[in-house]
Order: sequence, then structure tokens, then C-alpha cells
Amino acid sequence: MDMSQISPADQAKVQVMQEMEIEMMSDLYNRMTTACHKKCIPPRYSESELGKGEMVCIDRCVAKYLDIHEHIGKKLTAMSMQDAELMKNMTS
Amino acid sequence: MDTTPEKIALSDLDKEQMKTFSDFLLSYNRLSEMCFTDCVRDFTCRDVKESEKTCSLNCMEKYLKMNQRVSQRFQEFQMVASENALAMEKKLRK
Repeated sequence: MDMSQISPADQAKVQVMQEMEIEMMSDLYNRMTTACHKKCIPPRYSESELGKGEMVCIDRCVAKYLDIHEHIGKKLTAMSMQDAELMKNMTS
Repeated sequence: MDTTPEKIALSDLDKEQMKTFSDFLLSYNRLSEMCFTDCVRDFTCRDVKESEKTCSLNCMEKYLKMNQRVSQRFQEFQMVASENALAMEKKLRK
């Protein structure tokens, strides 16, 4: 991206957006870790190694969590677009 | 006055380090809470039992290993996602 052609105000906006995205990503990551820990690691700590079943469970859990995250995101954008459209029609 | 930009850069770096440190503290608190809840159930005696201690330590170690694995998988997904975004951008530019 060529930053020299963008105004300083827009540059600041882009930076804030990037920071928000990083914040959101780390929140997603933390929530996913907690969720998958709850679902895949039974609270019996007889050893400190991850079991084979636990490893497979974690892999699937991460994949599924991100899939669901994407699905919900898509649906949410679709719904909010619909809402915005409705509002526009009502006001005009 | 000519030291001002340096000062700002330093404080930015400081802020980032503080943020990393506070994140670390938060996850440390969360981890000890979790392992305490999972491992310590008997409150009929004051002393921490040997089994409770090994359980907590295993819990911590296992959590860190799990975290490592989650982070690996997450990175893989992100790599695929950014590759897709790049391909999409190229397609749109044509």
C-alpha cells in the first residue's frame, strides 16, 4: 500500500482500524483457547502430556470454531445490510 | 525539543511492553484459577496434598502445550486466509 497518497487523517483511521483488528483477533484467540480447553481437556491431570485423542480434539475444535466464527460473521453482515436497507427505505 | 520524537517512540514501545506484560499477568491469573478449580476439591485439611500439587502442575504444563498447539493451528488458518485474500485482490485488479 502506498501511504504517501493517503491523507494523515485517513492514515490515523487506518491505524486505529488495524489496532482494533489486532485487539479483536487476540480476543477471538483467547476465547477459542478457553472454549477448546473446556471441551477437549478433561479435568483429570494424571499426566502433563497431551493425549492423542486430546490433540485430535484440539485440531478439530480450532477448525470448527473458526468455521462457525466465519459463518456467524457472514450471517451478521448480511442481516445488518438488510437492516440498513430497510432503514433507508423507511426514511426515504 | 529535538528529543521529543524519540521520547514518543520510547513511550510507544513502553506501552506495548506494558500491554504484553499485563496480558501475561491476566493469563497467569486465569490459569491458576482454572487449575485450582480443577485440582483442589478437598477442604477438610489446610495443607496442599501431594496429589493436588502434581495435578496443578500437570494442569499448567498441559495447558501450555495445548496453547502451543492451538496457536499452531490458528497460524495455519490465518496463512490460508491471507493467501485467499491476496488471490482475491489479484483477481479484482485484473
